[in-house]
Amino acid sequence: MIETSNASASIAESTGPEALERLLGDRGDASNPVGDAALLAADERAELPAAGEELLHRYGFNAEFVPVELGGRFTSAEHLMRTARAVFRRDSALGIGYGVTSLIAAVPVWISGRADQQRAFADLLLSGRRASACYTELPHGADFTRDELTARQNGGRLLLNGRKDLVNNVGRSDALLVFARTGQRAGSRSHSHVLVERTELPPDRVTFGPRYHSAGVRGCQLGGVEFRDCPVRPEAVLGTPGVAEGTGLETVMRAFQVTRSVLPGMMTGVVDTQLRTVARFAFTRRLYGRPLADLPQSRAVLAGVFADLLAADCLATVAARGLHLLTSQTVTLAAAVKYFVPVLLQDAAYDLSVLLGARSYLREGEYAIFQKHLRDLPVVTLAHASSAVCLASIVPYLPVLARRAWQPDTASAPDALFQPGAPLPPLDLSGLSLTAGADDLAGTLRAAAMLPRVADDPWLAGPVAALVAELDMLRDRAAALPPRERTVTAGRPGFGLARRYASVLAGAACVGVWHAAPPGSFLADPAWASLALRRLAARLGRDTVPAQRRATATVDERLCAELTDRLADGRACTLTAERLAG
Amino acid sequence: MAEKAEIAAWLTERIAYFLEKQPSDIDPDVELVELGLDSVYALTLCGDIEEHFGLAVEPTLPWDYPTVHALAGHLAETAAGADAAPRV
Repeated sequence: MIETSNASASIAESTGPEALERLLGDRGDASNPVGDAALLAADERAELPAAGEELLHRYGFNAEFVPVELGGRFTSAEHLMRTARAVFRRDSALGIGYGVTSLIAAVPVWISGRADQQRAFADLLLSGRRASACYTELPHGADFTRDELTARQNGGRLLLNGRKDLVNNVGRSDALLVFARTGQRAGSRSHSHVLVERTELPPDRVTFGPRYHSAGVRGCQLGGVEFRDCPVRPEAVLGTPGVAEGTGLETVMRAFQVTRSVLPGMMTGVVDTQLRTVARFAFTRRLYGRPLADLPQSRAVLAGVFADLLAADCLATVAARGLHLLTSQTVTLAAAVKYFVPVLLQDAAYDLSVLLGARSYLREGEYAIFQKHLRDLPVVTLAHASSAVCLASIVPYLPVLARRAWQPDTASAPDALFQPGAPLPPLDLSGLSLTAGADDLAGTLRAAAMLPRVADDPWLAGPVAALVAELDMLRDRAAALPPRERTVTAGRPGFGLARRYASVLAGAACVGVWHAAPPGSFLADPAWASLALRRLAARLGRDTVPAQRRATATVDERLCAELTDRLADGRACTLTAERLAG
Repeated sequence: MAEKAEIAAWLTERIAYFLEKQPSDIDPDVELVELGLDSVYALTLCGDIEEHFGLAVEPTLPWDYPTVHALAGHLAETAAGADAAPRV
């Protein structure tokens, strides 16, 4: 409530997370066209907030993911993630509907487009127009190698035939990136991307299907598209014609490492808002003659959610920075973060809903924004890759990670991986690998366990040792996985190890961030890290309750004190504690 | 370095192991995906190839040479080239 909304009056003079925060203005201001009241009203109408789209257009949001060489502002995946988080803090539908949808279409173009395609696509985005990535075919889901929509050369034209569904913005995008079959053979070399502008599609050869309605992010405009002998330029194939055909799946596997690494960190904005909303409730609501927040169980919930949110941000931050710093290792890290951050966030949202009680489902009143975020979160979780798809893409790599990367003498990650906001080298998209064999993040966990400041710390030693023991168990079990558990036929054993592995990586990220934090800062205090690590270990059935009960209460107190300070200062409950506009 | 037939026998054994079949069930001229080894799983073959033959290979090799015979032929040629090249 520090600033009033000036969203409609000012154009972005500076950019980045806090600048966008200021532009978006005070959520609680009823007159703010992108405040909670307006966002809830748009959600009730199942519309994207028009004022929000207009504001992001004026801010030039698309430039955040256009490379600098092409006239945009993209230099850091972490910076992109934090900037988009300001949008998700208010409305996931706007975040998906305005930014993420075009981002998913853009990354394959940056990875494998020709120079002229990149130029034209960058210009389209920089002028504020939209793009959609058309991947999903309802009969095949994420099994892209069986996708049927075809693009075949015919008399000097490329003819598109087939349909795609559940594509965001498909009916109103200016450009479509279509994943199409360009070869007849089964397998992984028969698909390509085709990049077309909407204006070049003959209207009688393309039909945009009716909108799908959804339980969450109701404003998003999901639709389908069907092509019937739809002619496009032969050079619409992404990359060099004659060479690019058949490289589609490879491009997908690289591009999704980028998009799956940044999307979960954006989503943490949702639970940031939910935590702040419920904390405000807990500090003001009186029960049994005292504020709700004075009850130990309430404080335990708030502290636990705060710790889980920080853990989610640690993993998301490491994944985004990892694109720059551990580029060849992100094939598994991206899948792990896309699986596990939403798990942490959904569990946190549930815990908060219990504390908020009836107000967690009321669609009106002071806390109505909570239920909107609660409905949005599961849908955003499925956006771009379900947890099953993410785990399935970790499973085949488990045995090689066990053999090569989870041994006691493996390398650990550079400190810079764990320093939120620190400068990053450019992102080398050509360095993204399709194979796994190194895991410096897990190496960091082993190295941390040997540090005196961990081993001698009464709060950290137990949970860190528990996670190292888990990593040892994963190594032994992954190496011994029966063959059927290493492929698409994997069941509980293979998926179970992938799931547990994601918790270990989250723990490694927390330890790394704590260890690299500037002395004296909140992040250098073992309190948050010990609670986050203990909760991760508990998820793995490795309870490490400190010997003294008092220690648990002390940790809760420290986290609640920090939470109180951040609410009073108007700062986010994330690693970087951005200043919020309201 | 192994001859093509030897490489093919090893690959057949590996693929049979992954699919929990007998090596005699693996037709060396049928594409891996038809045998049941999908895209990502084919990629993991490369790790095995690297470790067994001490040969660095492109991760997408099994996509480009999608049968046992094609893969064995390519690996035999690569290995012959590597053997002929002076050791550094």
